[in-house]
Amino acid sequence: MNAKRVKFYLGIMLLSLSVSFPLWAQNSSGTISGTVTDLSGSPVANARITVSNVFTGQAAATQTDASGRYSVPKLGPGKYEVAAVAEGFPTSKSRVALAAGATQTLNLQLEGTSSSNTNTAQSGGTEPSLSSLGFPTSEVQGNAKEQALLNKRTRMLQIHQKLGMVTVAAMVAALIASGGAKGHHGLPGSPTGRNVHMGLGATTAGLYAATAYFALAAPRVQGVQVRGPIRLHKAMAWIHGPGMIMTAVLGAMAYSQLSKGERVHGIAKYHQTAAIVTTAALATAVFAVTFKF
Amino acid sequence: MKIIRSILLFSLVLALPGLAHAADSTWVLEQSTLTYHVSHPLHHVEGVSHAARGKGICKAGVCNFLAAVPVKTFQSGDTNRDLHMIEVVRGAEFPMVVVRTELPESDLKGGSIQVNLTVQFAGQTAHYNNVPFKLVPEGKEVRVVGTIPTTVSDFKIKPPELLAMPINNNIPVDVDMTWKEQ
Repeated sequence: MNAKRVKFYLGIMLLSLSVSFPLWAQNSSGTISGTVTDLSGSPVANARITVSNVFTGQAAATQTDASGRYSVPKLGPGKYEVAAVAEGFPTSKSRVALAAGATQTLNLQLEGTSSSNTNTAQSGGTEPSLSSLGFPTSEVQGNAKEQALLNKRTRMLQIHQKLGMVTVAAMVAALIASGGAKGHHGLPGSPTGRNVHMGLGATTAGLYAATAYFALAAPRVQGVQVRGPIRLHKAMAWIHGPGMIMTAVLGAMAYSQLSKGERVHGIAKYHQTAAIVTTAALATAVFAVTFKF
Repeated sequence: MKIIRSILLFSLVLALPGLAHAADSTWVLEQSTLTYHVSHPLHHVEGVSHAARGKGICKAGVCNFLAAVPVKTFQSGDTNRDLHMIEVVRGAEFPMVVVRTELPESDLKGGSIQVNLTVQFAGQTAHYNNVPFKLVPEGKEVRVVGTIPTTVSDFKIKPPELLAMPINNNIPVDVDMTWKEQ
């Protein structure tokens, strides 16, 4: 083998190594991650995390998120010192060994609690942080799931509100049509009048059931003290709920009596009264929550 | 020798204001009333919160103040409306309203001042410059009164509607705070 050929093969070898080394280095890189909490166990957000290789001094930095979590990827194997610095807390340091390609978890706890650190000026900070105000973590942290439930609740209650308005309109129409069902001067009305009235009554009952469904199935928000017109709205349900059932039952009895050519008698006589009271309660409930935004 | 002594004395006199500034201080929000106003052609609604917390740090003559209040603590007297408000402003996802400002320590002596505010709300950040505030010193406390000219569009909030009419874009927030030096 002559010298020229040796140089050629050596060149190829070096080129291969130079291409493959970064790939190998990428595969062998590891990650140090963990959570930073205070002594009460609450996560510390926006803490500055510095990860330094103990031997080479090479360092990388990041910040904890709202849940106090951090992650520093693309680290070579070695021994690292991880430091967490947050306003109102003394610096916390810890060492960890990282194997090639591994993910090492290192949780850090800062001395004190965010609420107990009221004088951040003494710790060297010049800007107060949200974590130093002492709000409970549950109040400060966003909750996407809870937001989705609120969105769903609003959508369902908007449908409930619109259906409620349509239900009141249908019920008023049924009341107006009752004249054709019962006739005048104590005489039974026409079969067509009764059927129109019954049809409107049945439509009202169906709309009412759908309206009630969207109210009852809407997600509940726990721990809320009920204030304002919604109290009247809910109170009215104790009248129009049973009233709607009573109106339908008495209406069926009255329809049966009229169909037999009889005058409306017995408790069926109270069908109209029940319908008027129910309509008034339903309209009040709708009115109470409609004229607001 | 006399000249050197005079120079030293003069330097000391010059350094005195600087030494005075070096007296760092911390302020804590003692009590607060924050009131938002929502206007609609058919309605005017106010929501009030007393739950704000805050802190101020003064160093080298410059003070940084931070005040925060949970969105859900605003009450308008109607539970349904308050829950709707939280939904509209994404209050469960972004539960805090955070206000920051930086001002010269000398402003804390009282009187009328204008401050630049950074407000974080509903997942957005808005800046308000030269917002007038009135400061009234009361012993070791300072009462701060003013109005932040917030708008719905600043925070990309979809304006709620009543009878197909949206609310006014302006939702000013009245601020009445008492800060105490620690």
